[in-house]
Amino acid sequence: MLATHLFSAGRASDRGASCSASSLLSSTMSRAVAFAVCILLLCGGSQAFAAGKKDALVPNAVPPEGTYSGEDVKQPIEFPHNIHADVNKINCMYCHTYARRSKVAGIPPTGKCMGCHSVIATDKPRIKKLTEYWEKHEPPPWKKVHDVPDFVHFTHEKHLRRFVFDNKGMKVENVSEVCAFCHGEVKKMVVAKKVKPLNMGFCRRCHEANNGPHDCWKCHK
Amino acid sequence: MGLKNINRRGFLKLMGWGGVGATVAGCDMPSTVTLEEGKETVTSYLMPEEYAIPGIGVWYSSTCRQCPAGCGLHSRVREGRVLKLEGNPDSPVNQGRLCQMGQSGLQGHYNPDRVRSPKVRKDGKLVDITWTEAMDLLDQHVGASSGLDGTRFAWVTDSVSGHQAMLMDNLMSSLDSANLFIHEVVNSEVSQAVNREILGDATPRLMIEKAHAILSIGNDFLGTGDSPVHASTEYAEFRSSPRGVLAVAEPKMSLTGANADLWMAIRPGTEGVFALSVANVLATKHKVAVDMLPPSIQDAIMRRNLNEDARLTGISGNHVIRVAKWLSSNLGQSLVVAGGTAEGQVNGYQNGVAAMILNVMLGNIGKTIVASHEFPFPQLAHRSGGTGGLLDFVKAIDDGGLDVAFFSGANPVYTAPLALGLKDKLASVPFKVAFAQFDDETSQLADLVLPILSPMEDWGTIVPKVQGEHAVISMQQPVMEPLYPDTRGLGDILLDLLKKHDSAAYGSYENYYAYLSQAFASFPADMAADGKAVSWNDALAKGVIAVKSGEKSLVSKLQSVSVQLPEENTEFPLTLLPTPRLGLWDGRHANIPWLQEAPDQISKVVWDSWAEIHPNLAKQLEVETGDAVKITSAQGAIEVKVYVFKGVHPDAIAVPLGQGHKGYGRYADGLGVNPLEILDTTAVEETSELALYSTRVKVEKVRNKDTLVMMGDHDVQMGRKMVSTVTPAVFELTGGEA
Repeated sequence: MLATHLFSAGRASDRGASCSASSLLSSTMSRAVAFAVCILLLCGGSQAFAAGKKDALVPNAVPPEGTYSGEDVKQPIEFPHNIHADVNKINCMYCHTYARRSKVAGIPPTGKCMGCHSVIATDKPRIKKLTEYWEKHEPPPWKKVHDVPDFVHFTHEKHLRRFVFDNKGMKVENVSEVCAFCHGEVKKMVVAKKVKPLNMGFCRRCHEANNGPHDCWKCHK
Repeated sequence: MGLKNINRRGFLKLMGWGGVGATVAGCDMPSTVTLEEGKETVTSYLMPEEYAIPGIGVWYSSTCRQCPAGCGLHSRVREGRVLKLEGNPDSPVNQGRLCQMGQSGLQGHYNPDRVRSPKVRKDGKLVDITWTEAMDLLDQHVGASSGLDGTRFAWVTDSVSGHQAMLMDNLMSSLDSANLFIHEVVNSEVSQAVNREILGDATPRLMIEKAHAILSIGNDFLGTGDSPVHASTEYAEFRSSPRGVLAVAEPKMSLTGANADLWMAIRPGTEGVFALSVANVLATKHKVAVDMLPPSIQDAIMRRNLNEDARLTGISGNHVIRVAKWLSSNLGQSLVVAGGTAEGQVNGYQNGVAAMILNVMLGNIGKTIVASHEFPFPQLAHRSGGTGGLLDFVKAIDDGGLDVAFFSGANPVYTAPLALGLKDKLASVPFKVAFAQFDDETSQLADLVLPILSPMEDWGTIVPKVQGEHAVISMQQPVMEPLYPDTRGLGDILLDLLKKHDSAAYGSYENYYAYLSQAFASFPADMAADGKAVSWNDALAKGVIAVKSGEKSLVSKLQSVSVQLPEENTEFPLTLLPTPRLGLWDGRHANIPWLQEAPDQISKVVWDSWAEIHPNLAKQLEVETGDAVKITSAQGAIEVKVYVFKGVHPDAIAVPLGQGHKGYGRYADGLGVNPLEILDTTAVEETSELALYSTRVKVEKVRNKDTLVMMGDHDVQMGRKMVSTVTPAVFELTGGEA
């Protein structure tokens, strides 16, 4: 059922590309269709240009297109991303500290949570539950929400370098806009949910729009 | 333009666009791998070390325990899991290299057939118990108040060294027992006996890199020698400019033989004759002095007849002359090494002596064969063993019987020839304890099975079998947390047993780690070769400590040589060669799929046993590759598929070691045969070692062609000229020299 879900979401978001291909296969090779395809591509290009304008929150970047309707994931503690990242304006990389250094963003160490929550909001039920884990010397058994297959090597560090640290005009405090490329507006969510398809078409179109590498082995090692 | 009247250009355009469309659409297809949201748990760190970053590996130094060589390791650990092993460049043993057995140590560590909790035999079956119950049981049988008579206790182990060996010795002393039996099937015990007798040093250093010509008589130093990676590293230097020349005489082509410039198939048991034949040509044709040899040996050399020797050994006189020419051109810069199939004969000791005569004549002693380092801590030194340890163990059962037997590292029920009757004899030992990472043929017969940590989870100090430039102590440290909470280190168990006997001496050590770190602190401050102080952390980070060692010198005490030939045997005309290889080794790695999958270096067969048979013998038996034959000795029979191959003497049949397990886990069981089962129990004369390569057999065809799975299907180039070749006639004239 999940696979079907993925399939329909991916197709719905990429109707333009797949339709143009199928119409080409089923109809004659008329010059008119070829012209239409060119127009379509040009339109896409102009959209990309508009998105990459200098005064955007993420300059020099074309956010990848695509949506996905993920499942609600039940976590051991209902972690409110909105309170942390939106209300209190905590930078994503403060907790997901490994994202800028490593392939994986990492789940924050429990010690990091307790750094604040040994004094902040200690009476709240979620924090009490967190403290119980901490006192048992056990990290909460978080459930993975975003994943790619084992044959795909995605690295957070290189993407952050391209869109944040080596991106002229980009402010680090706006990093959540870059995270949102693939994770959606997590700062508006309570428990994170998958809202982007994270499939190869999604990645490829972003690489094309943002001049990312096109070699197969960059991702498939 | 419809599809019916499409022209070539239109077709290509269509295909081009169609291809792009299909690709783009395909990228949005769901993956064949189902990615489930919210199903997989991700465990975060509680309080990570600063250097631990998920996704980025941290390298830890340790020591490889896959064979007795003791190579230094670098282990890559990520997210608390060891993922890759490589050689430690700081170890003079392997200098950064690591063989396939070392690389595949991971599959031993992560093997799903690991023993996960202590087990005791109840009503004939092994059932789980707690460690407290297990240690109480041990205490009842070997504790201070057990009343155990030390002569009725025995411990069978693989090679040991370092503090583990010292604790074992201490426990044996506490029990007043001398029955510590070290058992290795792949060993060099006969060579060591020859070296000890003639040179006064059992393990002299062979300076392969300094030699310009090497003659190996049965010694597969690159594949199954005392330290294959060390030898391979030196061999690379030997082959660099000026390129050294290698000749190998052996009854079955080994990895070393496959690298030789001249490979000679020798009739098993005639290796000593061949060595003396070479000595004869050296003395008579090249006038190499023999006056340093005792008259009896000079006489034995001079009595050799080239043509007669060629008939006996199967090696032509021309080849003997060529080998003698290479050796005589490199006096003091040559090396003759015997071992393996040469020393596993009934006359193996004398074969070794004959080879050593060549070294003495060629002036190699002190040049390419030099004294080993005088290791400053003899109690920690490497203790090697052979099949003699197994025979001694069986004798101990036969002589007075045993009450308690311990097994660690060794699997004697698998490695003992059936003729020894070990399985039945073990039934008379009432309490057998197996310290085991995996269930194996021996632990299946045990009364108590204690699951031990893998080498990647445990502490230790190892003194390598072959030392390189410096004498070293190699450190072993846990590179990750134990996979299974109910496993314990052998050192920890030993320490607990010793505490029961001498709490004053051992009671203060909380565990083996505490013992090791304390022992380390008690080393002399100036023990390092460079004179600098070594801290515990430095030693762990670097992985090896080069220690100051004393100087030794070699003597040359040749007295006599006697090369008796094997007796003719018309009923069993062939000699069985149960050959080890770098991979499954003596069978201990048969439960590692990577090593089962790695093709044999010579036959390229995977996941199976085979019998290498010379084409002439195959013709006589009317068999082809893939046919099954029955190999029968006086002790029993095995059935195995044939691999017809020119690299084996027509009088020999070679069956690799390692397969034929019955109780060694899901990857090992049910594959191939174990040739050790049908060996005779004859010993090498003048030693207590089994003559592993002297069992006589007969062969008969039992089945027609079956599948023998191997990489590639032929051993010729099929005209592709991948390697330039010359005809045999040209080679005979030039010896392969330009």
